[in-house]
Amino acid sequence: MILEIVFLIPFFTGAAALFLPNTVGQVLLILTGAIHLILSVMVWIGQLSPMLPEFFAVTPEGLLSLLVISLLFFLISIYTISYLKLSDIRKKNIFTGSMLLFLSTMTMVTLSDHIMVMWIAIEATTLASAPLIYTNRSKASLEATWKYVLICSVGIAMALLGSVLVTVSMDVAKLDAPISFSAMTKVAGSMDPMWLKAGFVFILVGYGTKMGLAPMHTWLPDAHSEAPSPASALLSGVLLNCAYLGIFKTNKIMHAAGLADFSGPILIVFGLISMMAAATYILKQTEYKRMLAYSSIENMGIIAFGTGIGGLGAYGAMICLIHHSLIKSSLFLTSGNILLGFGSRLIDQVGDLLGRMPKTFVAFFGGFAGISGFPPFGIFIGELLIIIGAFRTGNYLEAGLFIFILCVIFAGFANNIMKISFNTTKASLRINESAGLVWPQYVLLFTSLVLCFWMPDTLYQTIIHAVNAIGGGLQ
Amino acid sequence: MNLPADTILSMALLSILFSFGSSRLPGLIKVLAFQGVVVCIVPLFLDQEMSTGGIVFTIATLAIRGFIIPGCIYLAIKKVAIGREVEPIVGFHASMLVGLLLIVGASFASHRFDIPSSSISVLLLPTAISLLGAGMFLLMARRNAIAMVLGYIMMENGIYLVGTTFSVRARHIVEFGILLDVLAGVMIMAVILQNIKQTFDDVDTARLRTLKE
Repeated sequence: MILEIVFLIPFFTGAAALFLPNTVGQVLLILTGAIHLILSVMVWIGQLSPMLPEFFAVTPEGLLSLLVISLLFFLISIYTISYLKLSDIRKKNIFTGSMLLFLSTMTMVTLSDHIMVMWIAIEATTLASAPLIYTNRSKASLEATWKYVLICSVGIAMALLGSVLVTVSMDVAKLDAPISFSAMTKVAGSMDPMWLKAGFVFILVGYGTKMGLAPMHTWLPDAHSEAPSPASALLSGVLLNCAYLGIFKTNKIMHAAGLADFSGPILIVFGLISMMAAATYILKQTEYKRMLAYSSIENMGIIAFGTGIGGLGAYGAMICLIHHSLIKSSLFLTSGNILLGFGSRLIDQVGDLLGRMPKTFVAFFGGFAGISGFPPFGIFIGELLIIIGAFRTGNYLEAGLFIFILCVIFAGFANNIMKISFNTTKASLRINESAGLVWPQYVLLFTSLVLCFWMPDTLYQTIIHAVNAIGGGLQ
Repeated sequence: MNLPADTILSMALLSILFSFGSSRLPGLIKVLAFQGVVVCIVPLFLDQEMSTGGIVFTIATLAIRGFIIPGCIYLAIKKVAIGREVEPIVGFHASMLVGLLLIVGASFASHRFDIPSSSISVLLLPTAISLLGAGMFLLMARRNAIAMVLGYIMMENGIYLVGTTFSVRARHIVEFGILLDVLAGVMIMAVILQNIKQTFDDVDTARLRTLKE
């Protein structure tokens, strides 16, 4: 079978779901999620090969993201069915259709090898996700959509400029290789370093906007808090990874060209700024969905930091990437339950989660423990490896700052979580929690937990294979 | 030195100053339409061979940036009550000064690059860099949402010229920039939607400030 089918199927079902009645669309949503998961596993075991090998390829980092996307989407689609029953979204077919189109574009990002196909796919993710953010059709959601489209468009324009400069670095050196990431990584040594550096900076700023790196992150909290929870879970759990993939692949070229000394410090600085921005806003946060969004910015900062450190840090960053997707999407889904139950996004208006929604509380608190880096969750292992990596490479000051910011964020996060979980509220009614609204989160958290203790050897090898290219590993 | 190309590019540079000085949307739209046309025909006057696909792309870009998008915006501000004032954050005189400094800076910066195109046209790279910077400036220094979209389109024009500056392969890549116009279209739609939804009759992005930390 051809590889391209993995993103073509959701594309066609998504386009169909836009026009079909809502009930059919929901069946299509789950069905496509299941088929996509099966296909992704087939890609994993090497059953599918690309029809257009100059544009699409299976790379270890793409494979990791693809599997995460697929698993997340399947679970989120199950949640979405229960969520749509209780929510007051009016145009449900547009919502389900956009979710599927969004899945299709993100899958395309993970499988693309050509620098322009990657760019087109990332632009397409913006187009497919804009209707998701606008789902509630309120003034605030329109504002969030406007910010999202405007800021990400400027970012994507920067990334186009970066891609142009990367090809210029080949033309100046009179290289005649295809402009796919794999081919460029092979000839990177003879590319013109000045233009390559310029290209990397523009690509980092461009895709970094989409990834939520500060100071280009301003769209992220609005978009994540205004989108319905299943969409926020997808945005945070998967979209940010896709943008990271663009940066990761360009960074791979930089490493192959021997310019790691240039790209590393830039990534470290962007990572630390993002973490600082997140820490500042988490401390005085009044809305829980925005708090989760800032936590995503923090985690993207951690991942950028780890990638910049390289070595053990790069391995840690990959671990953080996988676990962040699993845990953060579960948290966003849980925040959807809280919003359905309490009808408010404000932390002050929510309380006594333990008494009123015990099942949701388990998912919420488990997610909090995972995301804030409690042992034995994966984020803890990832952060620990990044810190060790930073000390090994002699980045003492950076590592110190990293640890300090983590502590501040933990304090702010814990404070708010305690308020939500245990504060007394006037009402004391138990809120009905159907199985579809809690089990997807349990499965996500459980997967994350299992991966900490037991990682299949193929998964381990794939991660090692992915980070080897940027000088990463467990040595 | 390439006289026709440099003449055309100097018009693009002038359009930057005009756009910085225009206080009302209809004028700004016309300047941007003019700039779109001017920038798109530049490759035709450079002594590089063009493929059929390249010509088709050039014409498509010309049609979209020169006519379709400006036309749509023009119709939109006529049909929907969108404010005509661009509502500057930085005043017009200061903007003009910034524009001049930008052009001088871009000319200065482009001398530092050693690229083959300087033999074709001396103004190509300075204009490209100026357009990029000017687009960014309009995005930041105007409060009206439509003016921001127009700033974004100016940035796209700049990227288009950057690609043209370097090589045939780079130009193939910027041809994909046509897809950026889709995003510009989405932004215009968002502005129109907002105006249909809201009772007040201007697209002041200062009113898009209810979401805070």
